[in-house]
Amino acid sequence: MSCLIVQSDKTLLLEVDHELAEACRRAIAPFAELERAPEHIHTYRVTPLGLWNARAAGHDAEQVVDALVEYSRYPVPHALLVDIAETMDRYGRLTLSKHPAHGLVLTTTDRPVLEEILRSKRVQPLVGARLDPDTVVVHPSERGQIKQTLLKLGWPAEDLAGYVDGEAHPIDLAEDGWSLRAYQRQAVEGFWHGGSGVVVLPCGAGKTLVGAGAMAKAKATTLILVTNTVSARQWKNELVKRTSLTEDEIGEYSGTKKEIRPVTIATYQVLTTRRKGVYPHLELFDSRDWGLIVYDEVHLLPAPVFKFTADLQARRRLGLTATLVREDGKEADVFSLIGPKRFDAPWKEIEAQGYIAPADCVEVRVNLTESERLAYATAEAEEKYRFCATTATKRRVTEALVRKFAGQQILVIGQYIDQLDELGAHLDAPVIKGETSNKERERLFDAFRNGEINVLVVSKVANFSIDLPEATVAIQVSGTFGSRQEEAQRLGRVLRPKADGHQAHFYSVVARDTIDQDFAAHRQRFLAEQGYAYRILDADELLGS
Amino acid sequence: MGIGELDREAHVPEGRPSGTAGSPRTLAEALRARGDDGLAALLRARPDLLGPVPNDVTQLATRAGTRASVVRALERLDRFSLQVAETLAVAPDPAPYPVLLGLLGGGDPEAPEAARSPEVAEALPRAVALLREQALVWGEDDRLRLVRTARELLSPSPQHPSPTGLGPTVAEATAGMSPGRLQEIVAAAGLPSTHDPVSAVAALTALFTDRERMAALLDTAPPEALSVLDRLVWGPPYGEVTAKPTPPVGWLRDRGLLLPVSPRTMVLPREVALHLRGGRAHRTPEPHAPRLEVAREYRPEAVDGAAAGQAYAALATVEELLKSWDHGGPAVLRAGGLSVRDLKRTATALDVPEPVAAFWLELAYGAGLLASDGEADERYAPTPAYDDWLDRPPAERWARLVTAWLTATRTPGLVGGQDAKGRTLSALGPDLDRAAAPEVRHRVLGLLATLPPGAAADPETLLGRLRWERPTRGASSAPRAGGPPAPAAGPADGTDPGAAGPWASETRTAAAPRPAAPRPPAELRERLARWALGDAELLGVTGRGALSTHARALLNLPLAKAAEPSAEGGGVEPEVAAERAAELLEPLLPRAVDHVLLQADLTAVAPGPLLRPLADALAVLADVESKGGATVYRFTPGSVRRALDTGRSASDLHAFLAAHARTPVPQPLAYLIDDVARKHGHLRIGAASAYVRCDDDALLGEIMADRRSAVLRLRRLAPTVLAAQTDPASLLEGLRSMGYAPAAESAGGDVLITRTDTHRTPPRTAPAPVPDGPPAPDATLLTAAVRAIRAGDRAATAVRKEPAVPVTAGGLPRTSAAETLATVQAAAMTGSAVWIGYVNAEGAASQRVIAPVRVEGGFVTGYDHTADEVRTYPLHRITGVAELADDDA
Repeated sequence: MSCLIVQSDKTLLLEVDHELAEACRRAIAPFAELERAPEHIHTYRVTPLGLWNARAAGHDAEQVVDALVEYSRYPVPHALLVDIAETMDRYGRLTLSKHPAHGLVLTTTDRPVLEEILRSKRVQPLVGARLDPDTVVVHPSERGQIKQTLLKLGWPAEDLAGYVDGEAHPIDLAEDGWSLRAYQRQAVEGFWHGGSGVVVLPCGAGKTLVGAGAMAKAKATTLILVTNTVSARQWKNELVKRTSLTEDEIGEYSGTKKEIRPVTIATYQVLTTRRKGVYPHLELFDSRDWGLIVYDEVHLLPAPVFKFTADLQARRRLGLTATLVREDGKEADVFSLIGPKRFDAPWKEIEAQGYIAPADCVEVRVNLTESERLAYATAEAEEKYRFCATTATKRRVTEALVRKFAGQQILVIGQYIDQLDELGAHLDAPVIKGETSNKERERLFDAFRNGEINVLVVSKVANFSIDLPEATVAIQVSGTFGSRQEEAQRLGRVLRPKADGHQAHFYSVVARDTIDQDFAAHRQRFLAEQGYAYRILDADELLGS
Repeated sequence: MGIGELDREAHVPEGRPSGTAGSPRTLAEALRARGDDGLAALLRARPDLLGPVPNDVTQLATRAGTRASVVRALERLDRFSLQVAETLAVAPDPAPYPVLLGLLGGGDPEAPEAARSPEVAEALPRAVALLREQALVWGEDDRLRLVRTARELLSPSPQHPSPTGLGPTVAEATAGMSPGRLQEIVAAAGLPSTHDPVSAVAALTALFTDRERMAALLDTAPPEALSVLDRLVWGPPYGEVTAKPTPPVGWLRDRGLLLPVSPRTMVLPREVALHLRGGRAHRTPEPHAPRLEVAREYRPEAVDGAAAGQAYAALATVEELLKSWDHGGPAVLRAGGLSVRDLKRTATALDVPEPVAAFWLELAYGAGLLASDGEADERYAPTPAYDDWLDRPPAERWARLVTAWLTATRTPGLVGGQDAKGRTLSALGPDLDRAAAPEVRHRVLGLLATLPPGAAADPETLLGRLRWERPTRGASSAPRAGGPPAPAAGPADGTDPGAAGPWASETRTAAAPRPAAPRPPAELRERLARWALGDAELLGVTGRGALSTHARALLNLPLAKAAEPSAEGGGVEPEVAAERAAELLEPLLPRAVDHVLLQADLTAVAPGPLLRPLADALAVLADVESKGGATVYRFTPGSVRRALDTGRSASDLHAFLAAHARTPVPQPLAYLIDDVARKHGHLRIGAASAYVRCDDDALLGEIMADRRSAVLRLRRLAPTVLAAQTDPASLLEGLRSMGYAPAAESAGGDVLITRTDTHRTPPRTAPAPVPDGPPAPDATLLTAAVRAIRAGDRAATAVRKEPAVPVTAGGLPRTSAAETLATVQAAAMTGSAVWIGYVNAEGAASQRVIAPVRVEGGFVTGYDHTADEVRTYPLHRITGVAELADDDA
């Protein structure tokens, strides 16, 4: 009896407690995307993108089929194997490469495929003259476009056209008293070997260091794109601390500052600012001869940035993310424009290595009072969530939790400013929200880090990339309609390694029998699928104790 | 002539005892000379001769010579035997064996060494024996004769060119030619002139068949002429020519190397073609069946494993399909079958392409698991046999499906195509039967079985082999090299040799004692074979393209050795074979498991097929999320509620999960069940016809306690509310009779005041009157009408005053109806013409002069002088009539 079960919907079920499970996981990880990792059986999904990722990483169909046949407990339906082989075979039939005379060319090993794609209306404007039956010129500016288009047509092109080196700039890791963790080093190697691509690591697993490692490899001017200013500052601090770069070599390009230095950190927001229908800050991409572009939180990459990225295909691109899942389903664009997945490690595995803290996830169900129930029942559809998410009982539960964990570093996270203000007032804790100035934010974060403040109430501005290393308890009182990646981010808040080995706690306070509960169920499912078992408590239990 | 010839073949000549030594003179004689085994072999090969059983050998021979029967027999020949028959049809009749061999390129001593094929020489005796056995050929080796009907069918004619590509003989082609023209040809060919056409033809034939003289003649030919011959030599032998042929064609025509069949068409005589071909009737005789190539070889275990996996998937699919129709499937179309939309829906539900969905549907249907329910509103539903099937072990279920598939004539591959009338063929619908399907299927599997275990056949060679075994007449001609012949110089492609047409139409027109089954075109056989391969893979009969061990057992085929198509007679009963196959398959199928793994993301994973009761229970409690070797279930509030609805309690569910889970029940799952159970049944719904409410619960208690209230069927819902199953009126009556004074309540809760003796309808509008005639006229209309009538009246009076006065030009004659009738009747009697005013249907008035002939039924028929023809006018349209002033009009 082996450990893998192949389902007809192309999911793979892996029994994790099986003795062969680890070997099997290693065999299937290159081509199957881990979809769910609850306690006993992990679900992997075989998708065309996953198979092409595997091809890009140098695996062939035979290996994939062998892995399935070897580990499968039951006979694998032949049709599925054929399908896998056929899908994988589609990758690499078309190759983008450099041509000494014509610049960029698209060549094929299979002439009918070239004929097929050249007949497509979407491809025609992107290509030039046909050099010979197997080769066609591609306009160098359309390198990204054509990759995107070909992927949509189901014939992903292998990009072997290489990269420009960019302007050289000495960057080294300053490994004094610390060093890259093994998986970080693997991630850097994987990326560098592949040229461009995405590294998937859980929150708190040190993605910034993977970025730094990649920069040290490239030793060239680098453009780093991050989600917001706070995150930009943290990148800067981390780079100064961990690399040979000095503060003067790192520029910030944001709403407030417009510095362009050998290493420039820009926010998505400033790049996507539009004035009179144009993006005035696009010149940033051309302002220097960048040798490397780092995209932080690739899963949040706004659509316009994809468009710019399409024009940057000659530069090395590194995407960093905790999850390839995009709520907008643009995974294919990430694949074609930034690159295939070069490395990933499941949360649990890194947690087991002691790099991120194990978390205790609890959902607390509160009952609405009778008057709230009536108000909820009569509320307009778009108001319903606000009504149930901000019930007064939640405040009492939050207070009880804060009392319970008194002395530990506690984050209270919510969506509605009124609710947060009220909570802040009751808990006597400062509130960070959209209108809080960056300076004030940093002051409060510093105070929280130093332990001067124990409880911090934050709105969704805290969702991304702020580093709060000592938060051990996160209490979520309201969220954005069950967004999965938000849950990942919030969990990330408490998953950083703890100095004293405290267990992290993640509480979600949810109103019973309302859409709040439905949203919570959605988010919790994501948690459970990530392997974080959670418990459900009744508010009365908590308030009573 | 056909009958006379047949008679000669069939009847024993008088006065000659049968069975004497020496060469038989007729087919009947030849048959009579055979042993009983020989006759039995003939009847086995051509079973149509048995219906009804012939009275004697003569009758048997006659029947064996009928067109329909011969066509059937020819259709069942393999390619080489057919080639031999075709060759005999173009050979002299009778043909000695060596001549036949030579024509097939197998050993004409005069032929160049390279043209000789030892394989043909080796295979020919078998083919001749086969043809003889089937009574298509008779006679000793020195006088081989093709049965006349077969000869007619196979010999070349302009309408039905022979697959050999040969044309008519010189004698046939010159049959209608003038003696003078013939002499010219003889002279041009360099031969002495002869006395008569017969000897001229003989001379010409002799020249064409004489290798050396012919070679010498061709040496003098201009090169263009040779290239024209080249194009025609392998057929088709006909070529179009222009009125003024080009010099090379002219050169050939003059020497009889091309003979005219019509002013525009020339033919290459058979003798010339044979000379050019080196004496061979076929370009490529195919004495041996093409080899079945092995595409890839797998380990037999891998094949069996893959096949078993697919077999299991097949069972799961059929089960899933029928389960989804458990409570009534889609409606049956009026013409029978499943609508396109329902097929699409089924395909989506099964997550397969539509043709595959059609296959599963037909499979279930063919196995008797699915049928129309026959109700007035006809729907598809699983049959009782399905329930029986479900209870069988998986391997046996598989065997039942496959046995049904093997013999099925229904071909799901046709679904979605169109029949001859352009109607779309629907799944489960009519017209899907193809009689050849089982035979092709058996043959495909039989051929696969000839390969060693684990070897997958190359489908193209497999189809090639099938084509060889059952060629169609048109398709069997040797492939032409260098593409289609160029028509430029004249020769044109007469008929498409690939078309399978001629026989089918002939068969239908032939006066056959029994209608021969229309022959499936080669194309259908090939499609059937392809479908068989695909279906076999879907069913797990083959795995990765190779025949599985369990399928070999089922097919009753020797497990490894090569098998011939006659393997059906293997001696093992089909039931036993099915049992054996099931036994072989059984260990390969996933074992049923009795447990699931529960996880915190509210899923349960059954790591294998579940025992049926467990699977059924779990299917209620959770939704199936993914299927395959394992099943993934997801618990949702909805699914838990569903389980509670079936009468399970929360503690039942907890106990069920605890009993069947290998893992501890995760807290969120337990919480979910309790949470749903907490709300389940919180609201109660029931039906009541009326209610009683009263603020005094003691009074209600009293009513409930009263025995007389039993008939009212009251139930206490709350201290102050009773629900009744009787209608409000009876309830009121009943309570009153018990001495209470109830008041009725409206829907809004007000007391309804009712009067006892009045029975009223709900508000109704009075019916609008539907008057018979037109509405009553108003004053304006009346005035206008009166005025009009008066005016008309005045006009009528005015006319009457001077009735004899002919109407002046421009005005219509106007008389009263009675007067009109009398006048035209009088005119009809006297035959005189009258002048009438006539208003046609559009209201246009005209004057006509008619001579009435007949007046009847309100119409007058007469000769219309104005229109100059006989016409009929309705009397009521005639405004008036006047006699003509003078008779001389």
